[in-house]
Amino acid sequence: MKSILNKLLSAMRGGVNELGEAVVDGQGNRILEQELRDSEQELKQAKQELAALMAESASLARQIRSEQDNASKREQDARKAIAAGQEDLAREVAERIVGHERRAVELTQTRELLQQRIAGLKERVQRAEKQLADYRRELQVVKTNERVLRTTAQIDTNINSQKSSLNTAKETLERIRERQAREEDRQTASATLEKELTGADLDEKLKAAGIDGEQDAIDNVLARLKDSPAQ
Amino acid sequence: MDIQTLTLALGDSTHAGRSFDVMPITGEEPVLQVTVSGAEETPVYLTVTDTQILCLAYLFDEQELNPERLNELHENMLRLSVPMPLSSLGKTGDHYVVYGALSPTSGTAEIVQELVTLAENAIDLLQTFEDYLA
Repeated sequence: MKSILNKLLSAMRGGVNELGEAVVDGQGNRILEQELRDSEQELKQAKQELAALMAESASLARQIRSEQDNASKREQDARKAIAAGQEDLAREVAERIVGHERRAVELTQTRELLQQRIAGLKERVQRAEKQLADYRRELQVVKTNERVLRTTAQIDTNINSQKSSLNTAKETLERIRERQAREEDRQTASATLEKELTGADLDEKLKAAGIDGEQDAIDNVLARLKDSPAQ
Repeated sequence: MDIQTLTLALGDSTHAGRSFDVMPITGEEPVLQVTVSGAEETPVYLTVTDTQILCLAYLFDEQELNPERLNELHENMLRLSVPMPLSSLGKTGDHYVVYGALSPTSGTAEIVQELVTLAENAIDLLQTFEDYLA
């Protein structure tokens, strides 16, 4: 990932003023995609191999168990033959037991080797999966970069041909300020209208002119009270 | 979510009292120019890839900036990028941009929220960084 990011950065610094295409490393992209396909293929093979080995190991385990079962069954037969004084028969059974036990040991050894191969292969699968995830992430970065460059180039071309929207930041700021001023004016206007409708503005004007209805009313009451003092 | 579906959905959508004016940008890539009402000065450009929906708005170009204060501006942009809701600051070519990336499985509600936030952020950022213009 680090090498991809460094490559992208140096390409960007080198080709700041060129069109998107110049910055995009098309060849690098194809190599990455090839690596991705190779890794996917390797992973698929390793997984198939792993599945086959695990099936074989399970089959061996079954055979081992069967040999062990047979050996213990024969052991009971041999005990019975000895108890019945059939020494020759007991010997014959003992030979069979030896056969079962030998096969069980051989099969167990084979299976142990197989388990080692399975462990190795599992590690390989894990490595391949991690590798694959790395490649995918790298490819995503490269492709997104490519896409952003092509997209912005496309916007620039279109907007420049219209000569309308992609203004300088100063022009944009000017337009933002104009809109914000318009909005403020609208708010002030609607606040004024509100006052007119409720008569609040008239009260304010009267107050400013020293005419205060509320104050007058209080004065009137006071005057009335003074005219008719308490008896 | 693809560009056609989004064009249709945005035309009928409102979010927090905003409506959207959608215009496709002609060219190889599927790109939409979305103008958010109340933030018309900073249109948002939107493109859909396999891995993300990318929305971006332009702030200023390198040549518009006071070269002596460039480091200070970069420092401030990096710092503001973290708390800025749903948006990050970046640079592509000569353009300084504010952008947001969404999962391609995002619905109209998420996209609409992103578009409004991005357009508003672009205006706030432009006014914040006005002093750095040459």
